[in-house]
Amino acid sequence: MTGTATDPTPTATRHRHLLDFTAWSAADVVALLGRADVMAQVLTRTIKKVPALQGFTIATLFFEESTRTRLSFERAARAQSADVIAFAAGSSSLKKGESLRDTLRTVDQLQVDLYVVRHPASGAPYQLARWTDAAIVNAGDGRRAHPTQALLDAYTMLKRFGGGGGGGSERADPERPFAGKRLTIVGDVDHSRVARSNVELFTKLGGEVTLCGPATLVPAEFGAVPGVRVVTRLEEAVEGAHAVMGLRLQQERMSAGLLPSLSEYVARYQLTEKVMRLAHDGAILMHPGPLIRDVEVDSALADGPRSVIEQQVANGVPVRMAVLYTLLVGKG
Amino acid sequence: MSDHPTDDSRGAEPTPKRRSPARSRTSVRGGAAGPRTVLRRARLAIVDGLSRPTDVYVRGGVVEGFDLGGAVDLELDAREQLVTPAFVDLHAHLRDPGQEVKEDLASGLAAAAAGGFGTVISMANTTPAVDDPGLVADLIRRAELVGQARLRPAATVTAGMRGERLTDFAALQAAGAVMLTDDGLPLADTNLMRRACEYAAELGLVIQTHSEEPRLRANGVMNEGRVSRELGLPGNTASAETIMVFRDTEIARLTGARVHIAHVSCERAMRVAEWQRANGAPITIEVTPQHLTLTDEALRTFDPVFKVAPPLRTSTDVAHLREALRRGAVDNIGTDHAPHTLAEKERDLLEAPFGIANLEVTFALLYTRLVLTGELPLTCLLHLLQGGPASVMGWQAPTLTPGAPADLTVIDLEGERPVQGRSFKSKAKHNPWEGEPLSGWPRLTLVRGNVCYDREGG
Repeated sequence: MTGTATDPTPTATRHRHLLDFTAWSAADVVALLGRADVMAQVLTRTIKKVPALQGFTIATLFFEESTRTRLSFERAARAQSADVIAFAAGSSSLKKGESLRDTLRTVDQLQVDLYVVRHPASGAPYQLARWTDAAIVNAGDGRRAHPTQALLDAYTMLKRFGGGGGGGSERADPERPFAGKRLTIVGDVDHSRVARSNVELFTKLGGEVTLCGPATLVPAEFGAVPGVRVVTRLEEAVEGAHAVMGLRLQQERMSAGLLPSLSEYVARYQLTEKVMRLAHDGAILMHPGPLIRDVEVDSALADGPRSVIEQQVANGVPVRMAVLYTLLVGKG
Repeated sequence: MSDHPTDDSRGAEPTPKRRSPARSRTSVRGGAAGPRTVLRRARLAIVDGLSRPTDVYVRGGVVEGFDLGGAVDLELDAREQLVTPAFVDLHAHLRDPGQEVKEDLASGLAAAAAGGFGTVISMANTTPAVDDPGLVADLIRRAELVGQARLRPAATVTAGMRGERLTDFAALQAAGAVMLTDDGLPLADTNLMRRACEYAAELGLVIQTHSEEPRLRANGVMNEGRVSRELGLPGNTASAETIMVFRDTEIARLTGARVHIAHVSCERAMRVAEWQRANGAPITIEVTPQHLTLTDEALRTFDPVFKVAPPLRTSTDVAHLREALRRGAVDNIGTDHAPHTLAEKERDLLEAPFGIANLEVTFALLYTRLVLTGELPLTCLLHLLQGGPASVMGWQAPTLTPGAPADLTVIDLEGERPVQGRSFKSKAKHNPWEGEPLSGWPRLTLVRGNVCYDREGG
C-alpha cells in the first residue's frame, strides 16, 4: 500500500474488493453509479485526465486473454493518472505448475495497490484476496462473476430508462432504481459470468430477471433465485421486457452436445426486430460482446435504434474509473 | 507380514531410565519369546462404555494376556484411557513410488500409526502404477523396513490404469497384493469390468471400485447442484456415481466377485448399493470421513482443500450416509487419505488436484461429530474401523485376546484439542478441519508390539 507524497487524497486505501456484489449494499452500488456520472464528464473534456489516482499502481493480472476488458480498465486507470502494469499470466506459468499463490507472490513484490484479475477458474479472485493486502477487482472469473460488466450494464440501463419504480415520477426508492423493470437474458446462461453478475445486480437494485434458452444452457435451478424466472420460449421471455440481453454462444457448446446445431439455435433463440416488438415500448438491446452477428442477434437489430451495444463499451470506462476510485480512495 | 520382535535398541540403554510418565523401562529382559511390554491401566471398549482399568501384557509381537504381573522390558501407562485394536484402513493413497513429494511409505505409514491405524491398504495409482508383482514385493519389503503401520498393497486392475488390459492378477496376489483397483479412475469399459470380476472371483481377490460414470462426471470439480450453479463451477452430478454403483454392483451379482464400493458419497448411490446387496450382489460398502462431515457449501470458500472425488455432496446426502451408518448398512470407513502438496492445493479450483489428507484426524473427527453427539455408539464407530474393514477383506477381526497380534492404540476420549496440520506426520499438512476442536485423539499406537506412535514421545 503505497500512498505517496504526491497522493492528492491521503485517505488510507481500504482493503475492500469488488469480487461480486455479496458484500455490496444497493446504496453502495447506487453511489458508485453516481460517481460514474462524474467520471463520464471527465471523459468529455479536452484534457481527459484527472490526478485522482496519481501515485497508485494498478496491475492487470490476466490469466485468460481479454483485450477489450483489459484496455477498458487501463483506460480507466490512466484517465485518473494511476500507473498501470500489465501482467499477462496467460496460462504459461500455470502450465509450468506454478501455483496461483506463487504467481501472486511474484507480482506482489512490485508494490501494487490494486489488481484487476481475469481468470478462467471461478473463485480465483477470492483465493487471491486471501493472500494479498492489495485491493482486487474481479474482471471475470470462470463462469461465476464479471461485476464491472454488470455495473456498466446497469449504468447503461439507468441512462436509458432512468431510475424509479415503473417509470413513474412519484417517490422512487433510490436504492431500487430498477423496481418494476424487467431484464431478459437470452442464450448460454450456464456458462456466463455476465449473466450471473447481471442477475445478482439487477435483482439487488429491485428489478426482475427472465432467463431464456434451451434447458442445456439455462438449468431450471436458476429459477429458484428470488426475482428470477426461467422461460424456454423466446417470445414469452421477451414479452414486456425493458431490456433484452443476448449472450455469447461458443462453438464448443455444439461439440459438447449442449446444442444440436447453430441453425436450430438461430431458429429458436436469435434476437430479431420481430421478437423485440413483443418487448416494452422503447426496450433496449444489449450484448456484452464479442457479438456473433446473425447468430445471437440479427444484424438489423444489432445496428438498429434499440441497440445500445456501443454505449455499453463506452460506459465501461467511466464505470471502471468509478470502481478504481472507490476502492483506492473511497468515499468523498 | 512377519511379526518380528524388536531387537534394535536393546543394549543401547544398559541402565533403566525414566523417559516420560507414559513410558519407562523397568528392566532388561527379553528372551526367546522376545521383549515383554505392559500397558498399565488400559480400559477396553465394552458394551455401554469402558472396562475397569486392566494391565495388558504384550510379548513377541502378540497379546500375552491381562493382569499377569511379572517383570517387563517396557512399561507404558494407558492412564485409564481407551485401549483398542489398531484400526484398519482399506483406502489410503501413500503416493509411493514416484510421488514422494506428496507422501512416501515412511510418512504415510507414520501418519497411519498417528491416526491409530495398524494396517493400511495402499492405493495403486502411483508412478508407475502398481501393476507389476515386482512393485508389490518392493512395497512390502520397504514397508517392513519402515516398521510403522502394516502395509497391504493394492494393485491395479488394468495395466498402467489405462483401462485396456488386465494385469496378472494371480502373480500380483502371489506377490502380496490383497486388492485390485484402478482407484482414482473409474473403469469405463463395462465388458472389461465383467472379465476382471470373473477372473478375480476365481482367485478370491477383492475388486474395489471408484464408481463414477466418467463421461457423465466429465470435468466436474464439485457436486452438481444449486451451489455449483451459483458458483459457476463445473458440476459432477450424483447420478454419475449412482449409475456406476448400479453397474458395478450388477457386475458383482453377475460374476459373484467380491466387489467393494469405495467412498459412497450420495443418498441415491447408497440406496442402489443396498438394494443390490439385499438382492444377492456380493458387495461391501465404504464411506469416508469427509462425506460424513462436509457438504458442497464448503466450496463457497473457493478453497481447493475441499476439492475431492467423489465430491462433497449436500446435507441431505450427509444425513442419509449417517443414517446408513446407524443402521449398520455400511461395512467400513475408509479414509481415502489423498495427500497433495500445498502448492498443488494453492492452484485454482479447476487445476488443483482432488483429495483430502485425513489419516490423522479420522478417528477424532468421527468420534467428536458422531459419538459425542449421541448419533452413533462408540462400539459401532470402532467396528467400522476394525472388524468391519477386516471382514470386507476376509481377514480375522482385530482383537486384543491373547495370541492376537499386538496392534493396538490408546485413545484419549476426554481431552479436546484443535486440529493442527503442522503436527501431522503426513507430508500434507493442510486439511479441511484445521483449527477445529476435537476429542478422541490417538495417544499411543503399537504395531507388532512396538511403539510406532507416542504423542508425548514425538
